[in-house]
Amino acid sequence: MPFAQALREAGMAAFVAAMLAVPLVGFRLADTSTGLRIDTRFDWVAFGVGGVFLGRLLLGLLRGRGPGSGLRLDLPKLPSNAGTLFGAGLAIFAIVMPFTPMADRYVVELAITVLIYVMLGWGLNIVVGLAGLLDLGYVAFYAVGAYSYALFAIHFGWSFWICLPIAGALAALFGVLLGFPVLRLRGDYLAIVTLGFGEMIRIVLLNWKEFSGGSAGLTSIPRPSFFGIQFTNNPDPGVIPFHEYFGLDFSPMQRITFLYYLIFALALATNFFTLRLRKLPIGRAWEALREDEIACRALGINPTNVKLSAFALGAMFGGFAGAFFATRQGFISPESFTFIESAVILAIVVLGGMGSQLGVVIAAGFLILVPELLREFSQYRMILFGLAMVLIMLWRPQGLVAHRDPSIRLGAAR
Amino acid sequence: MSLLTVEHLTIRFGGLVAVDDVGFSAEDGRITAIIGPNGAGKTTVFNCLTGFYKPDVGRMTMRRDGREYLLERMDGFRIAREAGLARTFQNIRLFPRMTALENLLVAQHNELHRASFHSLAGLLGLARYRSAEKMAVERAAAWLDRVGLTHAADDEAGSLPYGDQRRLEIARAMCAGPRVLCLDEPAAGLNPKESADLAALIRDIKAREKIAVLLIEHDMSVVMEISDHIVVLDHGAKIAEGTPDHVRADPAVIAAYLGTAEDAA
Repeated sequence: MPFAQALREAGMAAFVAAMLAVPLVGFRLADTSTGLRIDTRFDWVAFGVGGVFLGRLLLGLLRGRGPGSGLRLDLPKLPSNAGTLFGAGLAIFAIVMPFTPMADRYVVELAITVLIYVMLGWGLNIVVGLAGLLDLGYVAFYAVGAYSYALFAIHFGWSFWICLPIAGALAALFGVLLGFPVLRLRGDYLAIVTLGFGEMIRIVLLNWKEFSGGSAGLTSIPRPSFFGIQFTNNPDPGVIPFHEYFGLDFSPMQRITFLYYLIFALALATNFFTLRLRKLPIGRAWEALREDEIACRALGINPTNVKLSAFALGAMFGGFAGAFFATRQGFISPESFTFIESAVILAIVVLGGMGSQLGVVIAAGFLILVPELLREFSQYRMILFGLAMVLIMLWRPQGLVAHRDPSIRLGAAR
Repeated sequence: MSLLTVEHLTIRFGGLVAVDDVGFSAEDGRITAIIGPNGAGKTTVFNCLTGFYKPDVGRMTMRRDGREYLLERMDGFRIAREAGLARTFQNIRLFPRMTALENLLVAQHNELHRASFHSLAGLLGLARYRSAEKMAVERAAAWLDRVGLTHAADDEAGSLPYGDQRRLEIARAMCAGPRVLCLDEPAAGLNPKESADLAALIRDIKAREKIAVLLIEHDMSVVMEISDHIVVLDHGAKIAEGTPDHVRADPAVIAAYLGTAEDAA
């Protein structure tokens, strides 16, 4: 880009920054003992505008590839199995992680949270990434799973392994219930209706006190047991707890490590199931639906069935994750299932690259870990987080892993 | 009785009569072309046949395997699946981010999905599904070969050259196993050599598959060369019908295409 043009653009950016900064940064309401006073901070404004000017100038000069080329992070060409290798490496790391010295309670708990989001991301990936149905209310299925598990476990005393399939089935049922009215909708309209659906579930849970405990939520949800053997230091008389059964000393880490492997196994199962479905007719029909619904119909594919199956299966995995969430927390309330959760899960899918399983893992790691690592920047962390997201979207507008592997290759299939 | 009979087909969009009392038929092993100036209602007829529009008046009857299907009463996807009409689109509608091979497999979805026992047999990797998939791939490979795209089997459909996309879309429609193949301007945007290849392909499909081909086309060299029967529409109404030679000499057709000589009179 010629210098004059870069200079002009930098001037424009600085002007806009000044217009915004003068009222937002330049004036400050100070609460003194004598009343309110307005302080001015024009030195801050000057620094900010100067920074914007220089940054924009630099950007313009560096880019120099003409309009529209934008910033692109061109990754080196990787061998075709690089993704598989990287995924396998991540999985091995995840298996040994709890036994490494770094694994204290905080780290394993954090890893569990990341894995929950990985699983949710993989579940939503079926709906958004493969079938191309923009779902802003995915958290509703997470909530259905969590509350189904909690209610069945509390009222009937059923174990985790019985409640898990029930929670998944109920979530899938809700997926179909949501699917029916929105069959004709696509894109923005679908997003709005699913958003409303997510809020409906939350508000029902909030207000139906007899059923869900309202805003107080459900407490004392049974903790998971190791196939019937409990993790506890003071067991009921006659019950042998986990550490005695295996002749260990009691440690709360045992339960947490078990939870870690539980969610790891659940997430992995989700992944394998999805990868397998992708290579089946139903998976190809999902992707075809994402690409062109009209062409699908002209080829005799019933779009209703394809959409409903995507909604139901995506919701089912959300329900599984919800059941795990409930048993891990031991307490759930509608506050855990707000719209922001849906937004984070959707951001994981979009940031990862729609339809990419590995991308979901990387994006979930990023979106959950970065705010955690930035904790010491306290109030600035969300700004830094937002900045990081904007930068990634500038560099990789298709998401982190935009590569799509064909579900079948001619040479391999013959 | 004909394979496909269209009678009194009429559609109104508001006050505009887009298709006005049109009737024709299509037979096995014959190419029936529908021609006419722009806006004559040709694509609208196709959209009715394939269930995208519901006609206001008229009957479209498909007879196959001793059964009658009334297309105007069926959902679009059922028309393709049960009655056996497959179509291509004027503005190509492939699945652009899927490979050519995947496009052809999606076209065989219903058969494969049944073989996979609604994904169960597929999930378990049962032999029943594996052999069905193998057959589907063979069929797709055979079609890729016939349209000359074997080299591009694993390429994204959206990245193929325009002419290749046109042929791939025809191959995809054929993989759906139709009795009537509806081609909406297949030669649009092709150069003369590609048009000639396309004409050969359509003739080859007619000869070897023994199915009925319905063709909308502006390229008269293609139409006149390969059609067995031509239906001419103008302003939504049928103005002529017959063999290429008959239609070419029809004064009404010449008037519709070139205008009448009333100014000179």
